[in-house]
Amino acid sequence: MNTAFWIISIITVLGAVLAITLRNLVHCLLSLVVCFFGIAAHYFLLRAEFLGVAQILIYIGAVAVLILFAIMLTRHVTGMEGPRELGGKWWMGASTAGIIGVLLWWCVRREVLTAMWPSSEKAQGLVAVIGKALVSEWVVPFEALAVLLTAALVGAVVIALEEVVRKR
Amino acid sequence: MSIPLSYYLTLSAILFAVGLCGALTRKNAIIVLMAIEIMFNAAILNLIVFWHYRFGASVTPQMFAIFAIAIAAAESTVGLALVIAVYRHYRSVDVDEMRSLKG
Amino acid sequence: MDEHLYELARQQWLIPFFPLVAAAVQSLLKREQRKLSAGLCLLAMGTSCVFALRALFGTLNYGNSGWPAHVNFTWFEFGSTKLELGFILDPLTAAMAMMVTFVGLVIFIFATGYMAEDENFTRFFCFMSLFAAAMLGLVVANNLLLFFICWELVGLCSYLLIGFWYFKPSAAEAMKKAFITTRIGDVGFFIGILMLYWRSGTLNLYGDGQGALEQAEKFALMQGWFGWSLASTIALLLFFGAMGKSAQFPLHVWLPDAMEGPTPVSALIHAATMVAAGVFMVGRMFPLFTAGAVNGTTPVLQFVMWVGCFTALFSATIAVAQNDIKRVLAYSTCSQLGFMMMALGAGGLVAGQFHLLTHAFFKALLFLGSGSVIIGCHHEQDMMRMGGLRKYMPVTFVTYLIGMLALVGVPPFAGFFSKDEVLLVTFQQNKVAWALATFAAFLTAFYMTRQMFLVFGGRWRGGHGGHEPHETPWNMTVPLVILSVFAVGLGWFGGKYGHYMATDEGEAGSGKLLVMALSVVVGLIGIALGWMIYGRKPLATATDADPLQAKLGVLYTWLQHKWYVDEIYEATLIRFTMSCGRFFRLVDKRVVDGALHAIAWTAWGVSQVFRWGGDEFVINGGFDTGCESVRGSSHLLSKLQSGRVQDYFRVLCLGTAVLLLIYFLKT
Repeated sequence: MNTAFWIISIITVLGAVLAITLRNLVHCLLSLVVCFFGIAAHYFLLRAEFLGVAQILIYIGAVAVLILFAIMLTRHVTGMEGPRELGGKWWMGASTAGIIGVLLWWCVRREVLTAMWPSSEKAQGLVAVIGKALVSEWVVPFEALAVLLTAALVGAVVIALEEVVRKR
Repeated sequence: MSIPLSYYLTLSAILFAVGLCGALTRKNAIIVLMAIEIMFNAAILNLIVFWHYRFGASVTPQMFAIFAIAIAAAESTVGLALVIAVYRHYRSVDVDEMRSLKG
Repeated sequence: MDEHLYELARQQWLIPFFPLVAAAVQSLLKREQRKLSAGLCLLAMGTSCVFALRALFGTLNYGNSGWPAHVNFTWFEFGSTKLELGFILDPLTAAMAMMVTFVGLVIFIFATGYMAEDENFTRFFCFMSLFAAAMLGLVVANNLLLFFICWELVGLCSYLLIGFWYFKPSAAEAMKKAFITTRIGDVGFFIGILMLYWRSGTLNLYGDGQGALEQAEKFALMQGWFGWSLASTIALLLFFGAMGKSAQFPLHVWLPDAMEGPTPVSALIHAATMVAAGVFMVGRMFPLFTAGAVNGTTPVLQFVMWVGCFTALFSATIAVAQNDIKRVLAYSTCSQLGFMMMALGAGGLVAGQFHLLTHAFFKALLFLGSGSVIIGCHHEQDMMRMGGLRKYMPVTFVTYLIGMLALVGVPPFAGFFSKDEVLLVTFQQNKVAWALATFAAFLTAFYMTRQMFLVFGGRWRGGHGGHEPHETPWNMTVPLVILSVFAVGLGWFGGKYGHYMATDEGEAGSGKLLVMALSVVVGLIGIALGWMIYGRKPLATATDADPLQAKLGVLYTWLQHKWYVDEIYEATLIRFTMSCGRFFRLVDKRVVDGALHAIAWTAWGVSQVFRWGGDEFVINGGFDTGCESVRGSSHLLSKLQSGRVQDYFRVLCLGTAVLLLIYFLKT
């Protein structure tokens, strides 16, 4: 299992790094998709099967496609970015991220956390259990989420549609 | 499994830092949104990791994670719609050019 | 002191008071209120005359006792010193006051006619009232301070009235000359007063035995300057003031130039009263002059006599060659003042004062007569352009003749009696002085006769066809008549005057008849000579030369130019004073102004230091730096608001990092 973890981790991290460093927008998107796949694989490794599938469906199937649409709709020159893909003084942002990263890494090195061993016997990501919880205990958040998604949908349409309607 | 918790947490931290770096560095707004998605994923991964190692019997963390994913999706939808609207106004998605609130 | 006398003495202050009030009121009047001004003046003078008359009658019945009646009062005190003023009543004062008020009143009446066409009529009478008040104050004063105040006031009024027509440059020069020349004498006068006050401890002349004059005998024993006694030294210093005021040589130069003033001024001030003030002062201070007398004389009295004698002769010679009608009379006044001083110097207080009184009347008469002539000839003053006026101005002619005869000393006119007494006392004192004085009397007769013939004799030499002379109106001729009555009649009081003054002068000593006869003879010779030269063959036209010029040649030129005394003064004293003035002006410019400039520059330098050190760097600099730093920091801080989302996000992350650090460092 360890090797699986290491391979999937490397793929995930590589995918994320490439997603933020490539010049071509579509290439970035594709490596982001790879990263998402890696995350999903991690979910599977962690025995949260439903979440892994949900990750693939939602993130890759919807969000990545949406991003692709956005890329397509906002290309006006060539589809490539300008001569510099990074903004001015990129090292400031990078160093800030580095600082945060170091801090986070440092905080996970604490003894309290490193002392916890896995207890994988209890983890069961069964779909039946999730489904039953969704309609019994968690039905209100579920419905609220539905409303939220509807509002987001309508809002996005309104925001993105306005200019086109006016032009007519 | 013999993977210590801290390894997964380190992975999640690295992903978060990478996403943050991208959000702070790239000048294309869409890439910034992509980097934010990476950060989201790192956080949700963190959630699942802790569910797996400690709270495996409860279903609440999974619910948490499902809702988080759904909300992240909604947020990215609205964000990209905004990017498109801004593109229509500025004719570019360069964040460096969107500085009319400069003080 | 007798009670009645004391009462009169208490009221002596009223005599100068009325003209003073009149002058104060007149100074506020407008130029158009002429009648009011003249009326006030005459009314005040008349009231003073009445009071003076009352005082005179009050004193007539008292023999030797109780003189002089005096009243002293404290003016103000400071610390332990009291400043006193006082008034006096004695025969000298009473007679003098009577003369001043009466002659003054007559002259004022004349002046209403003389100044009728002048536009500054009101101002004239204001000054005249002020002068009358000052002169009367001087006469009744029992106090050195009051005397000096009135002395100076009289000088001031003389200055103002000589330069009455100040827009004439010659008048402006004359008024300055008069004031400055008398001032020179006043320096000595003031030093004398100070010395007297210092030694006697009081300013009062008579004060219950403690007065300054009452201590005169004591001063005669104390040491003064140059080996003289203290009394003589003080008297000499006081006499310097008299020399200035009474135009004795060498301070006589202002009197002829003072004729620039209107004729009533000349009559009142420069004939009858102010110039007599010097003589009066010597008479008032006579105890100082005679203190410690040896053989009836003291060194200072000798000095007075010789100064007076010389002046009498000197002025008489000049008067012979003058062509201006008023100049002749001015030098004649100078000469007669010399006679008075000479008499006083010879010890004859009565003779000198009596001559003063008679001279006042007939000299005023002569001056007013000349004023009448001037007006009648349409403001002509040159005698060469007159002539034959006896036909045109008969009243003036007769009164003038009376005055002339009185001056010359022809009996039975007043001048004869008084001049006779003067010559007598001089004869008894010093024969040489008497001889010179007699020669001066001869010259007096000569030049007066010359004047009579030039003005009234012969034919009219001035312009014809409307320019002929005419007689003057009644308000000018009536005063002439009044004065001529006195010029005739006053002499008979000579003997009585001696008793009245109650001094211890013995009756005539030797030589009375000789002197009397000689003075009459000399006068007649002078008249005869004058007739011979000017009367027999009168001048035909105005441009004819003076016959005397041919006879005397160069001497005549010297006489006409007043022995060049003015020119000598100009070349020496005036030049010296001017160069002193220039030197001091230079000192003022360089030293004083230089010091001022140095101070100003120093102040400027200090202010610059404060400005640069303090103000500019500290205050301005500090303030500016503060403002700049605020601007700079705000400029820097505004960079935080870049408008770029990524920058805001970055700062947010950094803040989170800081929080994390703090959290983890704590636990």
